Amino acid sequence: MDSYNKLVNDLAPRKFGKRGTIWTTLLIVIIIAGIIAYIDQIIKGQVVTNMRDYALWGIYISNFVFFVATSFVGSVTVAVLRLTKNTWRTPLVRIAEIITLAAIVMAGVTIMIDMARPDRLLNLFIHARLQSPITWDVIIVPTSIVLSFLLLYFPLIPDLAILKKHFKKTKPTISKWYGKLALNWNGSKAQKALQEKSIRIIAIMIIPVGIILQTIDAWLFSTTYRIGWDSTNMGAYFISGAFVAGLGALVTLMYVIRKVRGLENYITDYHFDKMGKFLGLGCLTYLYFNINEYLIPIFTAPVEEDIHLNSLVSGEYAPIFWFAQIVGLLLPLFILLFNKGRKPGAMFIVGMMVVIGSWWKRFIIVTPTLLHPFLPIEGVPESWHHYFPSMHEWLITGATLAMAFLIITVFVRYLPVIPIQRTADEQGLVKTPKIVES
Amino acid sequence: MKNRFEVYFVFLAFLSVFLLTMGSQNLLAQDGEKNRIRISANYFKIMDGEAYFDIKASARIDKKNVEVTNIKLTVYNEIIDEKIELGTVTTNMKGESKFVLPKLNEITPDSTHTYNFVVSFNGNESFKRASKSVSIKDANIKADLVVKDSTNYISATLIDVGKDSLLIGETMDVQVQRLFMPHKIGEEFNYTDKNGTILVPVDTDIPGVDGNLTIEVVLNDHDTYGTVKDLVVAPIGTPIVDESTFDLRKMWSPRNKTPLFLLIFPNILIFGIWGLIIYLITNLFKIAKS
Repeated sequence: MDSYNKLVNDLAPRKFGKRGTIWTTLLIVIIIAGIIAYIDQIIKGQVVTNMRDYALWGIYISNFVFFVATSFVGSVTVAVLRLTKNTWRTPLVRIAEIITLAAIVMAGVTIMIDMARPDRLLNLFIHARLQSPITWDVIIVPTSIVLSFLLLYFPLIPDLAILKKHFKKTKPTISKWYGKLALNWNGSKAQKALQEKSIRIIAIMIIPVGIILQTIDAWLFSTTYRIGWDSTNMGAYFISGAFVAGLGALVTLMYVIRKVRGLENYITDYHFDKMGKFLGLGCLTYLYFNINEYLIPIFTAPVEEDIHLNSLVSGEYAPIFWFAQIVGLLLPLFILLFNKGRKPGAMFIVGMMVVIGSWWKRFIIVTPTLLHPFLPIEGVPESWHHYFPSMHEWLITGATLAMAFLIITVFVRYLPVIPIQRTADEQGLVKTPKIVES
Repeated sequence: MKNRFEVYFVFLAFLSVFLLTMGSQNLLAQDGEKNRIRISANYFKIMDGEAYFDIKASARIDKKNVEVTNIKLTVYNEIIDEKIELGTVTTNMKGESKFVLPKLNEITPDSTHTYNFVVSFNGNESFKRASKSVSIKDANIKADLVVKDSTNYISATLIDVGKDSLLIGETMDVQVQRLFMPHKIGEEFNYTDKNGTILVPVDTDIPGVDGNLTIEVVLNDHDTYGTVKDLVVAPIGTPIVDESTFDLRKMWSPRNKTPLFLLIFPNILIFGIWGLIIYLITNLFKIAKS
């Protein structure tokens, strides 16, 4: 087997083993449980949630914000590393593109789950007002979905043509599908020029679109003037948070895919070390904005904001707040300072800490503020002063996370997670694949 | 045998307690008797407008005052022994109703020029029959805006219509109409002089829409004449400058009044980005064809 064929053989998708089947089955079971809970929510209304007049944005919105943040990985790794000509990105970009698409699609789904009347979804478009941050979100989320799809698809076309040829004899049906998706790719100069040009445009576009997406997400909160959200820091704070959440998700998946697919020769310690430094930079930036967001207001806050900050620092939400700050930010940053902390195993743990910390961070961004309303209602039930998700909310949210994992799993199953053509080009194995018959 | 009687006794005791409890649950039939209804009727007359009764029906049930809703009340003109029906009204959810009287010259007064009315309720399954008699004399107020020494005054004369005589020493309120409560002007008590007239100065700094003030002169809840009111619309106020942003393009306006920068800038972004996305999609077709 020559080097090129070995490369294709290594990187071509392959059937799941026993562990993959159990994993996929588990995801499907979680999704089915979530769908049942969602149907019940539709029938009975959102009374099945623990959202009430005070906490009217609960776990669904914090989960939405988490998905939006995670989708930022496409902008930071694919686009930023491309524009800064960091060639070590090659084995990572496809995974980042898959995470981006899965996360932004699930962000769109999650926001619909939060609607008590999803049958009125079209009203968001029909009665849209450009003054409303909700309308900005309605515009930017579908835009990001389409752009994330194109970000994944354009670099994938040559690989699909390679896979068509690779599976022609062994799996003719799947080969046929790869052929259709490969858009008659034959590696001609004209096709390459079009593809290169398109990827360049997407790489440039995805950065402002990603920043707009994160900023709009931040402005959804900060334009409400609410305590804890009314901050000019919010847009940059969200972008830096998304930087960390996205890279954390990428590092975690890199480790899992590398291990499951046996790609140690392609995703090496060197890549983890580079990603560790990159994530460390993200954590430092995020730490800076956290200091701006929390530490300064602790000394300068008026009474209402002081009550809110106390609930975070030493009150009801202190365990989650400190978990997110220490486990989700400070500890990873500390680990990443050391060479050993940037080894694959340590990086997986760091990635998990960052991702879990990021999820809970969104929860404490959304919920505590809502529990301190502008106009408190007289004689509200005590339970309205607190919020913790109901079983319905946990099941549905669990299902959305499982759906994101399932999308990633399906892509990993059927697509090459490391770009084959680009890797071959970089290793000088082959310049252009042979023209394949359609 | 004795035991059997005890069982019957206990059974009857339980039954009677049960039946008594059932009876007491009916609030409107306290102790099986009908409730007494209270009717109040206040007379109002607007000069060059309508004359009417504000009628209210209430009852005291379980030591609480309760508005009596949806009952039919009949208004009569009483002349010696004869009662002429003028019409009927039904109380609303607040136990209130308004009965607009025909013109007073179509109603017959007694020899003392007093108009006698009876507001009557015929009773129903919950309430006893009840009635309320109201006697009023007709009075007129003639109010005008006068200017003396560059000062604006409201001059108002109170007249007993039946006797065609001026009413002296009566007190009238002068007030500017406002949305929630009238704004009183002048002295606390403005007594009519020997000409049956009051003269109240009006300040020039009272705000009004387009500078117009609607000034009310009111004989308020008088024992003989009821409430009589005359309105004078006078362009002597300070015009209110409309500072409403209702018609302006603001963040809180409807979408047809979106601020221009929000129409232009985001639309440039939206069309720019989607234009490029469409271009990228056409590139996919070009790749497929080339």
